[in-house]
Amino acid sequence: MSRSEAVSEVPAKAARVRCFTDELPLLAGVAAVLGGAVLLMAGDNFALNILATTFLMAGLATAWNVIGGFGGQFSLCHGVFFAEGAYLTANGVVHLGLSPWLSLAPAAVLGAVTALAISWPAFRLRGPFFAIATMTFSEVAYVLANYFDSVTGGAQGIRVPYHAGWLNMIFPGRIAYAWIMLGFLCCCLAASLLLLRSRLGYYLQAVRDNEAAAQASGIDVLRTKLLGFAISGGLTAIGGSVFMMYVRVVDPPTLLTLSDVGVRFALIALIGGVGTGYGPLLGALLVVPLEAWLRASVGAYVPGANLIVLGAVLVLAALFFRQGLAGALDRLLARRPGRRGAAAA
Amino acid sequence: MASFAGVLLAGVLLGGIYSLVAIGLNLIFGVIRVVNFAQGEFVMLGMYATVVAYTLLHLDPYLGMLLVFPLLFVFGMAVQRFILQPLQNEPMMQIFATFGMLMLLQNVVLAVTGGTAVSIRTPASGLTIAVGPLQVSVARVVALLAVTVVAVGLQWALHTTMTGKAVRAVAQDRRAARLMGIDVERTYMLTFGFGAGLAGVAGALLTPIFTLTPQIGGNFILPAFAVVVLGGLGSVWGAYIGGFLIGLTEALAGFYLDPALKQAVWFAIFILVLVVRPTGLFGVVGAEEVGLRVQE
Repeated sequence: MSRSEAVSEVPAKAARVRCFTDELPLLAGVAAVLGGAVLLMAGDNFALNILATTFLMAGLATAWNVIGGFGGQFSLCHGVFFAEGAYLTANGVVHLGLSPWLSLAPAAVLGAVTALAISWPAFRLRGPFFAIATMTFSEVAYVLANYFDSVTGGAQGIRVPYHAGWLNMIFPGRIAYAWIMLGFLCCCLAASLLLLRSRLGYYLQAVRDNEAAAQASGIDVLRTKLLGFAISGGLTAIGGSVFMMYVRVVDPPTLLTLSDVGVRFALIALIGGVGTGYGPLLGALLVVPLEAWLRASVGAYVPGANLIVLGAVLVLAALFFRQGLAGALDRLLARRPGRRGAAAA
Repeated sequence: MASFAGVLLAGVLLGGIYSLVAIGLNLIFGVIRVVNFAQGEFVMLGMYATVVAYTLLHLDPYLGMLLVFPLLFVFGMAVQRFILQPLQNEPMMQIFATFGMLMLLQNVVLAVTGGTAVSIRTPASGLTIAVGPLQVSVARVVALLAVTVVAVGLQWALHTTMTGKAVRAVAQDRRAARLMGIDVERTYMLTFGFGAGLAGVAGALLTPIFTLTPQIGGNFILPAFAVVVLGGLGSVWGAYIGGFLIGLTEALAGFYLDPALKQAVWFAIFILVLVVRPTGLFGVVGAEEVGLRVQE
């Protein structure tokens, strides 16, 4: 298994397993720096939009990373949970007149339950087969979203009317959205780090590194994967809810296009560093502004130019940059020299 | 009764198209164990190459096929050699890389063509023949016949020729095959090239039937994956028969239920097969688990 060396990389002097409290100072520092960036950009709506999108995508990639990175289960159906969160919130506002804030928790529950329901059969499959099965889920959700137009508004999409106010999670300025997205990102990072330093997190990594060995050491493999998937799906659904209030109108392609949503989360995590705590954030900080810039500069006269670059980056990252930005940063800081010398067969 | 026969016929013809795309995918999948997300884009490239050959050289798609196959064969060999071979023991990275290729190819074609839909009128495209009370598109019948020829030919080649035997040996046990003196990397390149070439042939055969857009690959890749999982990994007949199962399901569901839900129905079958028999209908038991096993 490609990551089996990760086990031996724990330094001998580490007598104590790192726990969540050790991670808090860095997390607080990261949140403060990102908050500072928001304050710095205050007033510049273009920059604030990019920041808000970056934070949202970073949070979603962090959520994907829980099962895709820590657990090594390559899910392509996270768009389903994302869409569920968005549709739940939209329906709460439009049909029941509920505040979007109230729909965040139900969205998380819905996302987690769906994740359990669809991953239970899918976990009978491994590796690439699992990826294919989850991809199918995503495509079928797309079909269903178009079909059940009473819930989703069908192909026309669903719209939340503009009534500004804190309670409605709708604001005239962009800065409030940047703060909300930052809040979402911090929740995802905290959950992800908490998990990474918890028993379940170590179980997930053990399952990823060697499923047979994990099972032999008494880990309930299926239960571990299911729990990891549920947490990941729940966080993603919350992301869908806040996204809904950010854009206020969504249609099935926005929520369920594979290359724009489900795969995008995985892609950002890969470029940042799969299976690391802050990798997905680093990936989003690079990819989202880069794409916004490409779309604005080249995209105008070459259609799809941003996706050409992104596709090329993806291939090159897979070939030459497997540990992502986080891995490169680690190597730069020389904390983990020669982590993985996996030679091709 | 006539309508039922019509639906069955439509399902079989659609199944032929799905099988056509799935056979190349299953070859790559079964032997190299790479999930090639870009396979639909290979079909798309085949279609555009056919159109270029038609407009520049006035080659009929059925003749253009002879040009498209070697083109995609070489392209596939290059992809395997320079992108997938370095990632041989990194299944996750292979998925990323093939998805990156999907985005790259789709959008390069989009940038080149400007995204306008293209369709060509060939002698076969408008032609229909009467089967009893039904009118059947000749181009679809040709596709059905072609996939049958390809399936029989591939099965024969895999079981009788030396190269075919080498391909099967590598699929069964890479290390043992290498010890027997088989050049594994070369066999992989040939297999991937052949799989890509088959995608090109599929593209040429489908050009008279479909209107081309850069995104058209997406219409084929998902049914093709369903066919592969349903029929069984690495089984030529699995891909052949699985295509008809999916095609028939889609046609019947579209007619008797709701056209908008046809995909959801074959998906339900897909899930059922996953739960009951994860190896697929014709697959070797255990094949679905080897995907992540490092063989060397």
